[in-house]
Amino acid sequence: MSATPPSDQARADDTTRPAAVSDSPIAAPATFGDSHLEPVSDDESGSAIRSALRLLVANGSGKAGIALFVVMLGISLYVVVTYPLDFGTARWSNPTVWGDNPKNAPPVWTNWVRSDRAVEHTSLTLDEPSQIRAIPAGEVRIFRVPLTYDADEFPTFLSMTLSGVTFHGRPPAILASLQRPDGTAVRLASVPIRAPRAGETAPYRRFYDAPERVLLSEEQTAAQSLAQIYQQTYPGLAVPTNVTDDLGAALFGRPAEDGSGRIVPLTGEYSLEVQTVVADPTDGIAGVRVVLGGTVFGVMGTDGLGRDLFEGLLYGFPVGLLIAFLAAIFSTVIGASLGILSGYAGGVTDAVIQRLSDIISNVPVLPLLIFLVSVLGRHLWLIILVLVAFSWPGLTILVRSMVLQIRSGQLVEAAKALGASRRRIMLRHIFPQTAPFIVAQMIFFAPGAILAEASLSFLGLGDPSIPTWGQMLEAGFRTGALYVGYWWWVIPPGVLIVVTALAFMLLALAMEPIVDPRLRKTN
Amino acid sequence: MLTTLRQLAFRAVTLFGVLLAVLLLLVVSLGATGFSDDLLRAQVNEETRGLRQSLGQTIRDPDQLERTVAERQNELKRFYGLDRPWYTRLPEAVWRVLRLDLGEARSLRTAEGSNSVSDIVLERLPYTMLLLTTSSLITAVVGLLVGVRMATMVGSRLDRAVAYFAAISFAVPAWWLGILLIVIVAFQLDLLPASGMYSTPPPEGRLDRSLDLAHHAILPILTLVPVSVGPYIYTVRTMTVTVAQEDHVQLARAKGLPESQVTRRHILRVAAPPIVTGLILGLAGSLSGSILVETIFNWQGMGRLYFDAVSGAADEGVIVALTFVFTLMYVIARFVLDILYVLLDPRVRLQ
Repeated sequence: MSATPPSDQARADDTTRPAAVSDSPIAAPATFGDSHLEPVSDDESGSAIRSALRLLVANGSGKAGIALFVVMLGISLYVVVTYPLDFGTARWSNPTVWGDNPKNAPPVWTNWVRSDRAVEHTSLTLDEPSQIRAIPAGEVRIFRVPLTYDADEFPTFLSMTLSGVTFHGRPPAILASLQRPDGTAVRLASVPIRAPRAGETAPYRRFYDAPERVLLSEEQTAAQSLAQIYQQTYPGLAVPTNVTDDLGAALFGRPAEDGSGRIVPLTGEYSLEVQTVVADPTDGIAGVRVVLGGTVFGVMGTDGLGRDLFEGLLYGFPVGLLIAFLAAIFSTVIGASLGILSGYAGGVTDAVIQRLSDIISNVPVLPLLIFLVSVLGRHLWLIILVLVAFSWPGLTILVRSMVLQIRSGQLVEAAKALGASRRRIMLRHIFPQTAPFIVAQMIFFAPGAILAEASLSFLGLGDPSIPTWGQMLEAGFRTGALYVGYWWWVIPPGVLIVVTALAFMLLALAMEPIVDPRLRKTN
Repeated sequence: MLTTLRQLAFRAVTLFGVLLAVLLLLVVSLGATGFSDDLLRAQVNEETRGLRQSLGQTIRDPDQLERTVAERQNELKRFYGLDRPWYTRLPEAVWRVLRLDLGEARSLRTAEGSNSVSDIVLERLPYTMLLLTTSSLITAVVGLLVGVRMATMVGSRLDRAVAYFAAISFAVPAWWLGILLIVIVAFQLDLLPASGMYSTPPPEGRLDRSLDLAHHAILPILTLVPVSVGPYIYTVRTMTVTVAQEDHVQLARAKGLPESQVTRRHILRVAAPPIVTGLILGLAGSLSGSILVETIFNWQGMGRLYFDAVSGAADEGVIVALTFVFTLMYVIARFVLDILYVLLDPRVRLQ
């Protein structure tokens, strides 16, 4: 990718001329006379970078690139602020976090394009009882969770999770029931609480470390109660002989009017009641969570483990940008400094650096990366390290050829005559002139690094503690999500990989007037 | 001529250096991490267990059995070089690999059941070459035709579109495009087979088999071409534009040569070396890319072989041998490129 379409070139020329970018070895005259003064050189490199930025904003692909970039940075910032540091291990790869989610559920917004309505996933938590009634033996506390059901599909499950039960004497009795829109009430389950063990002292605590999850749609009690209700409420209608086989459907349905024996959805307002009978007023439950398992879930759906793909997709932004930045910055620093050193120092130093970059630039990186990661371990830092180690030579060769020109220029001659040290000349006089070019080249490293990490993750060699888009794709591919049409699982991560790489490509495209192809030919 | 030969020889030495550097890296990372020791120890233990069983049938005295087994175990350790540190043992392995003695695989086999890595590589190589050469040829033809055409309409809307297409095609990973094609072409439209190289059962007869193979190759090739053709069109276009601005082209036009001849003799002749460079670099790049593309299409080539050796039960010998073969192929491609450069560029040839 070199050279530029003239339309851009023309526009770019207006903005870049003042900068010290052109292949003329002499920079702006102002710098020339008093080049030993530090502020001038600093200012020169600063203005060169500023004008490079101006150039970016000046054309279409630059604007698009910057816009994409700002959005990605914003999302990354949001993730960094709101996500826990150990998101990968503590949340993403932890199955208990996702236990209450439907598996392989498409996103909620698919409802807008579908002909039949899917069930939206609903999860409600109550900390305080909705109603308290005193009875002679203590208190009855009722947690009432309203559930609206108006879909053409049945929910995938109904579950209830109790956390933090405390009692002093007799264990509380806990009963769950479902009020249906047809006026019936299904007894769902009673949750047994283990009585105090010998030697245990009050207050007795249950379900604090591991909340108790009851899958109501598979409870025997619920099945019996429901079979009875179907008989009493819909006497004339044929009922499938095994109502209880698909309890999730039966709980939210009724026999079809046509007598076909099918169960059709019974839409309306449901209410799940959790009744606790406590002996002592200080006894109680810390919280009740009720989950109505949907057939669609969240913004981006779920994967085969019930993980919220939206969360993972968002997390991919800071990780992707981090890989891009680290790889680009380190490759650029190494490549540019070796290039300047090689071009200015000459002699043995030059020869060694040239041979080294010649060898390294000819190494096939992907097979080696696969090898190293499988032997040394799946670490993100290792992936970045290897990418940096093999990507700098291209820049070194280019920068060297630029430096060879600048070295023979009057600016450097003058600085030398004034007695400036080699280090000073390289840092203060050569680097500023190559800076805009180096910045432009830096962008080129980013998409390569993002794509390489994605490829590696896709082969199952990604860092297991840091989820990336490539790993999400790998999971989808490995479990065959692709072949059963779970598009929401495999398309979005790929699109995000492409968009991120493309954002950098657009910036690079806009910066091309700086990377003057004529510079490459002079060696 | 002599300078040219010297340059080529120098280049050959550099490329050999690449091979050595890669092998050195392999050896150090295998040895210094203890990876190699662990693998060999497991191998020795496994063989000792087998020995103990077979010897137990002939040697009745338990003490003598233990002594014999221990003796044989030490022999095995010496045989595998476990009695020496890795930095004396592994260089021998490098020397062996350099002589193209690639060793044996533990679980991978050829269709005939041979476990020699050379046999496996030779069996798989043609399938990879089939994909790579076909897609490179298509890329070359399309890239040259479209690129040269674009060069004549620089700045047009179409030209701009091609630039964006090039950027997008660079940003799209080949394997993800492959996934999309599998979902759309193979599953939704049911036009082409989704993966594999032959139908099950494979058809009888040479011609039918070849046709079946070609039929299965269409989708992988359709995956490889779009990702390489975008950047290539752009390279060709850019090189052509650059050369077209040079004085000798202006002169040719001023002489009144027809535009087609100007393009063929005065522009492309000069732009040829970098254009060929782009193509071969693309080929070398897709060699790496083939690891992923072959994996998703279950195409039994070199790339898939590498994936199989790395994933699951890692086979050290096969990984080293294959990394070496990949590097060798890459280096050979680079050297062919250098020779082509000499042949194509009169300035280099006549130096």
